[in-house]
Amino acid sequence: MLLLLAAFITIGGNTSCKSKKRLAKEAAEAEYKARVAEAVRDLTAILDDETTWTLEEKEHRVQTIKDWNLQNAEVDDLLFQVEKKLSRERAQAAQRAEEERRAAEEAARAQQPKNVLERNLASIASASSTTQANRLINETLQLFANNNVPVLIIITQAGGFNDYDKPTTIENYLNYVKDQKVNRNKVNDLKFNDAGKITEVELIKR
Amino acid sequence: MKKILATLALVVLVAGAAMAQDELSFERKQAIDSLALEKVRDLSKYIKIVGSKETAWSEANRVIDRAEELFMSNAEIGVSSIASNKIKYYKVRPYFEHLMRLNYDRVEIEWYNIEYVSDLQRQPDGTYVGVITIFQTFRGYDKEGNLAYKDTTKKDITVYVKRKETQIGGRMIGFWDVMLGDMRVKETANK
Repeated sequence: MLLLLAAFITIGGNTSCKSKKRLAKEAAEAEYKARVAEAVRDLTAILDDETTWTLEEKEHRVQTIKDWNLQNAEVDDLLFQVEKKLSRERAQAAQRAEEERRAAEEAARAQQPKNVLERNLASIASASSTTQANRLINETLQLFANNNVPVLIIITQAGGFNDYDKPTTIENYLNYVKDQKVNRNKVNDLKFNDAGKITEVELIKR
Repeated sequence: MKKILATLALVVLVAGAAMAQDELSFERKQAIDSLALEKVRDLSKYIKIVGSKETAWSEANRVIDRAEELFMSNAEIGVSSIASNKIKYYKVRPYFEHLMRLNYDRVEIEWYNIEYVSDLQRQPDGTYVGVITIFQTFRGYDKEGNLAYKDTTKKDITVYVKRKETQIGGRMIGFWDVMLGDMRVKETANK
């Protein structure tokens, strides 16, 4: 009787151990299948531009999938295609960032002399003496390629084109502001040479 | 006869359409009206600077150059005095030189009531011509600071505005050239 019980326990224990292993294997297989499915879904979505992820988020997702080391032909193929696509996107993003940086630099470069010119014109108009105005004029002329840089003054922009006052030179215009003691026009546009000096001024009536 | 009349009607229609095209919009006309008034106000400031005994000779000469540019060549400026009925006319530079040499220790010149007496009207050659009137008060003081002379003069200035073109930075720029003509004395009073 005791022998029979021992045999039963032994056989039963073996069966239970095998079942646990099978269950674990099945669970692992299910997890693997789920990860493959998830990887295929996410990689396809990235390829088809159906995600709202940023480039960094996409790259992070790809790295996670690679870390899973799924060794699945379909996933490997998708990874290859996605990495190529992300590489292109990275290059485009870098190019865009460079273009934006240059545009911002250009705008800042244009803005700086514009602000200085606006400020100096106001200071020349309100100078307390001719000496002070002349000092400001000489300082302002340093922004320009030469003293004869043309100054255009828009008097009206009716009918889709500009009507101008008679063009003058920057030196004459600065002296005009000094003489009249009034800064009637604001800076509309500036043109520069390669050295960053102003080569043309367009003003507009306030 | 009918053919001649039809041709004449066509010519009148075409000419009318061309004239209408030349007509300026209200906004553009207003802009050139203001521009011409601004030039006259600029001139008043130049007269004040040159007339001031505090203005350095080099500055006065530079301002005279700018003032000369406002006028048509051969334009004349009338000068009157309450001491005489005669009005003396000077070319622009001699007028300013006369102003610089006035025998007062201090001079005050003010222009006011600057306005059109005759609006800018388009002439057949495309030039707009108008007349702007100004009132000028002149006060001359002696060394002791006493008022030695004063008068108020009403003057009429003819203004000419013409559309011109110039090339700047490789492109054609259309601009309005305002030129001042004769400045005629209309009245002079001791006030």
